[in-house]
Amino acid sequence: MVAAETAKDKALRYAFGNVLCFFILLLIGVLAFSIRIFSVIKYESVIHEFDPYFNYRVTQFLTKNGIYDFWNWFDDRTWYPLGRVIGGTVYPGLTLTAGTLWWTLNALNIPLSVETVCVFTAPIFSAFAAWATYFLTKEVKGTGAGLAAAALLAMVPSYISRSVAGSYDNEAVAIFALIFTFYLYIKTLNTGSLFYATLNAIAYFYMVCSWGGYTFIINLIPMHALLCIVTGRYSPRLYIAYCPLVVLGTLLAALVPVVGFNAVLTSEHFASFLVFIIIHVVALAYYIKGILSPKMFKVAVTLVVSVGLVVCCGVIAILVALVASSPTKGWSGRSLSLLDPTYASKYIPIIASVSEHQPPTWPSYFMDINVLAFLVPAGIVACFLPLSDASSFVVLYIVTSVYFSGVMVRLMLVLAPAACIMSGIALSEAFSVFTRSIKFQLPGLSQSHQMDAGDSVSEPSGDVIQNDIVKTDRHDEPVKERPTRRNKKKEKENVDKASKPSIKSKIENRLLVLPLETSIIALFLLVLLGAFYVVHCVWAAAEAYSAPSIVLTSHSHDGLHVFDDFREAYAWLSHNTDVDDKVASWWDYGYQTTAMANRTVIVDNNTWNNTHIATVGTAMSSPEKAAWEIFHSLDVKYVLVVFGGVVGYSSDDINKFLWMVRIGGGVFPHIKEPDYLRDGQYRIDSQATPTMLNCLMYKLSYYRFADTDGGKGFDRVRRTEIGKKNIKLTHFEEVFTTHHWMVRLYKLKPPRNRIRSKTKKSKSKSSTATNLKRSGTGKKNPWH
Amino acid sequence: MLFRYFITFTVVYNLPCNTLSLINLHNQQLNSLRLLYLMATMATTLTSSLSSTNSSTDPLSELQSLRSASDSAAIHLTDSLFRRILSHHPRSFSLLIFFDATQLHNKPELQLQSLKSEFKLVAKSFFENNQGNPDELSKVFFGVIEFGESQATFAKFGVNSLPHIRLVGPTDKDMKSEPVKMDAGDFSRLAESMAEFVESRANVVVGNIVRPPLVSKKQMGFIVLGVLIMLPFLIKRVIAGDTLLHDWKIWMSGAVFVYFFSVSGAMFNIIRKMPMVIPDRNDPNKLVFFYQGSGMQLGAEGFAVGFLYTIVGLFLALMTHVLVRVRNVNAQRLVMIVALFVSFLAVNRVVLLDNWKTGYGIHGYWPSSWN
Repeated sequence: MVAAETAKDKALRYAFGNVLCFFILLLIGVLAFSIRIFSVIKYESVIHEFDPYFNYRVTQFLTKNGIYDFWNWFDDRTWYPLGRVIGGTVYPGLTLTAGTLWWTLNALNIPLSVETVCVFTAPIFSAFAAWATYFLTKEVKGTGAGLAAAALLAMVPSYISRSVAGSYDNEAVAIFALIFTFYLYIKTLNTGSLFYATLNAIAYFYMVCSWGGYTFIINLIPMHALLCIVTGRYSPRLYIAYCPLVVLGTLLAALVPVVGFNAVLTSEHFASFLVFIIIHVVALAYYIKGILSPKMFKVAVTLVVSVGLVVCCGVIAILVALVASSPTKGWSGRSLSLLDPTYASKYIPIIASVSEHQPPTWPSYFMDINVLAFLVPAGIVACFLPLSDASSFVVLYIVTSVYFSGVMVRLMLVLAPAACIMSGIALSEAFSVFTRSIKFQLPGLSQSHQMDAGDSVSEPSGDVIQNDIVKTDRHDEPVKERPTRRNKKKEKENVDKASKPSIKSKIENRLLVLPLETSIIALFLLVLLGAFYVVHCVWAAAEAYSAPSIVLTSHSHDGLHVFDDFREAYAWLSHNTDVDDKVASWWDYGYQTTAMANRTVIVDNNTWNNTHIATVGTAMSSPEKAAWEIFHSLDVKYVLVVFGGVVGYSSDDINKFLWMVRIGGGVFPHIKEPDYLRDGQYRIDSQATPTMLNCLMYKLSYYRFADTDGGKGFDRVRRTEIGKKNIKLTHFEEVFTTHHWMVRLYKLKPPRNRIRSKTKKSKSKSSTATNLKRSGTGKKNPWH
Repeated sequence: MLFRYFITFTVVYNLPCNTLSLINLHNQQLNSLRLLYLMATMATTLTSSLSSTNSSTDPLSELQSLRSASDSAAIHLTDSLFRRILSHHPRSFSLLIFFDATQLHNKPELQLQSLKSEFKLVAKSFFENNQGNPDELSKVFFGVIEFGESQATFAKFGVNSLPHIRLVGPTDKDMKSEPVKMDAGDFSRLAESMAEFVESRANVVVGNIVRPPLVSKKQMGFIVLGVLIMLPFLIKRVIAGDTLLHDWKIWMSGAVFVYFFSVSGAMFNIIRKMPMVIPDRNDPNKLVFFYQGSGMQLGAEGFAVGFLYTIVGLFLALMTHVLVRVRNVNAQRLVMIVALFVSFLAVNRVVLLDNWKTGYGIHGYWPSSWN
């Protein structure tokens, strides 16, 4: 078949292959985008969760005020009365990206709202990430593997979980930046081009702008460079790939305010500098080796090694002393817990307590990378046959990321691209072997291949699998071309023409085949596996990862229920309160309150000031009067409480309350956790401690609650009857409760007549307390 | 930086809550185990060593001399010594007692030995950090008491489970109720948290914990010397490209092993100190290998599934890279059939196991007219 082809045919064939490849990539992009808009279809175009609301607000500010104001932005709407410097404390990559998108669209007279742009940033960048994966894998193992990897990445559940439409968070763009940086590194490594090296540094800069996970890159690439040196794979290409990245990349990274001098001062970056020194020494050695005769070189080596060792030891000793002088050896707690998995659980309970920082169990892998978990080992083996610079890099990538993901479930996100690349390689190799076996052993002619690829694939039927047919076609087509192309090149060098070499190659190929029947079965099983992956991913995208958590739904026998209480409450706040009113709530709702209600909050999700959070925690865990005093001293006018007892929303404030007590007690020792626990158990029923029953959080949550179900007061989250039913408020008054009672807003009563209460206090202390209560409840608030 | 991640733990509050309670449950099991051991040993060795040594001398000087005599600065307490100490009331010092039982040293889940050495470390650090301050030194004494030889004291304190650490204050009289018990949380972080406990309860300054270095200075010197001698040879071999590191097979098996290790959730087992198997609650003779419920796994379970994860990929690699080079068609056929069959079973098994463990169930989105 190859023999029959003329040069023109070949050119046509390649052109056709490229066009096909282009369209496949386009389809992959569409797939990556569309699988992520389940959240918009099932719910609506809305920003999800908590952090994205902050990013959204920053983007709004950016688009309204421009980049300079954004850079210098001091936000007085949050952390009242401290405020927060936003420009210097955020990773600006995401906001700048979305802002640029919005500007471009507006310049093109496409008037999209900022919110819409923000909602769709993540899906758009997932498509980019898929394409970057294609390029990266193509550099490693060719087009076929690239397309397979891109298709897999487009729908890998782990990545979907962070990049559905509306999930407007740093990871959305950072994964693209990560893969693209790796691609450029490998591209430089393969070509030795300084152009790509510069691009690589810029891509790294973008990654630093986007996500704190950039430290993974700046440690992985030096590790790879070192590995290459140690295994004797040093080349000038490696030098070009590595050194510009370190020099330019570090300089650029230091430009990002939130990183700044950390780029040269913290241990996370030291590995890159150490390898930078080593690579120069090695480069020098190679250079000298080139200009000296072997004998002279030997002499030089012994001389240099003996002198160099002394110098090296000195430098290392100084470095070690420097690093050891800092208490954590210059590493941040989270990095340390990656190196020593048991570190966090021993020394940093706050990191260990975060659910995202838990080590995953095996079902997490099945949920997040699904069948890729089965294919990765095959990919690893394929990368070693033969081992190249590029393939050794992806092996290193998968090994480090799979180890890290084993320590923290959150890092599964970094593993996902590596798993996709490996599985793409494995799938493409397997498909090429199996289809080749079928092609060369079918009794038909060369054209028969097209048919049996169709045959074997068309066995499973159905909508979703249809998708996979396209995929399998993708795998084998370009891959098949590759060996022939390679053979061709060889043959060209041999200057052998006509039929001879083609027969040779045919024989070669014939030898490397498997039995026909089993190949068909294997192909069938692989397609089945792929189909399962597709079904799983669609299911995960549709059912598991698309809930925006600001709008909740529940299915029951009488249909779908939508709980839109959060937005109801925030809308109420923005319409019914003064612009400068301060709202106190637990910090989870800080970002949302500032973004949606545009009211000043005391604490928010950027928990940079523990004392401030502890103050709010203390207020929530104090009795009403003390809480009122704390809140009043902070100028708070409204208190927002999230309560799920009516509808059974389990992540409400009562469930988080123990954290408020703990964090509050950490700073203000008069709050003691045991006071809130009955025999070490957290309960809210009649067995609850008096401190618990009298604290502000309990009262605000359960105020008038017993009225909802005829005096029973059955909490549907805790599944118990509450301990105190007729709650009277003295210092707070209810101003708004949402439809399903999920958010309750209270207003601080204005300070009452001081002279009167003072005289009363002087009379008797005990009577004041009761008196205050009575007068408090009886009095109407002058504000209304 | 740190705080950004803070967010999630209340947001996904339910998750840690579940795992915590599971762990508690597990701990409860362990506790009951501990109790059982002790009850058994108590029953078998019912002895009362009531000797009457009634000395009225101040125990302070005796304790001081005992402390300086012991090499860890933790005093070995006995029934008689303890009785003498108690006979003085009020005392001028506190006494932190570690309850030890030699016959339970072979129960790894209690970690008695490691806790004991940590305890001694605190004692030693306290002793050494306060050398120039005799007042401070005489405020607290660290004592270790052993169950086999001092059962009367164990009974006096009402200790029925280990590990157990108590702080006897200067004025404590009733040993069952008054002395403060160190919670499990206080020795979870080993010596550091024990020191915090002592500092807060006994008003003393322990100071930095002085851990003995892993290798002594002499050993360190030898190692450095050895490395220095080896280095030129190593560099020579590296340059020549002839080390174990140049063998790609080692790298490959290493990579596959790390992969196997991680996907099996072994990190989870290490961090959470999960046992390989646990005894069945209903039938103690049986062992539970697989734990039902997401968010937790047992050691054996993880390795089994990790093996299933890995084997499929390895078979695939075997077929695509090794088997194609085999010339015997029948051998190829046979190996392929076995490999495909095993792979199919492995995938099937993992899906079923996941379904059983977490209630995982997916469905395709077929057109509704098809139903």
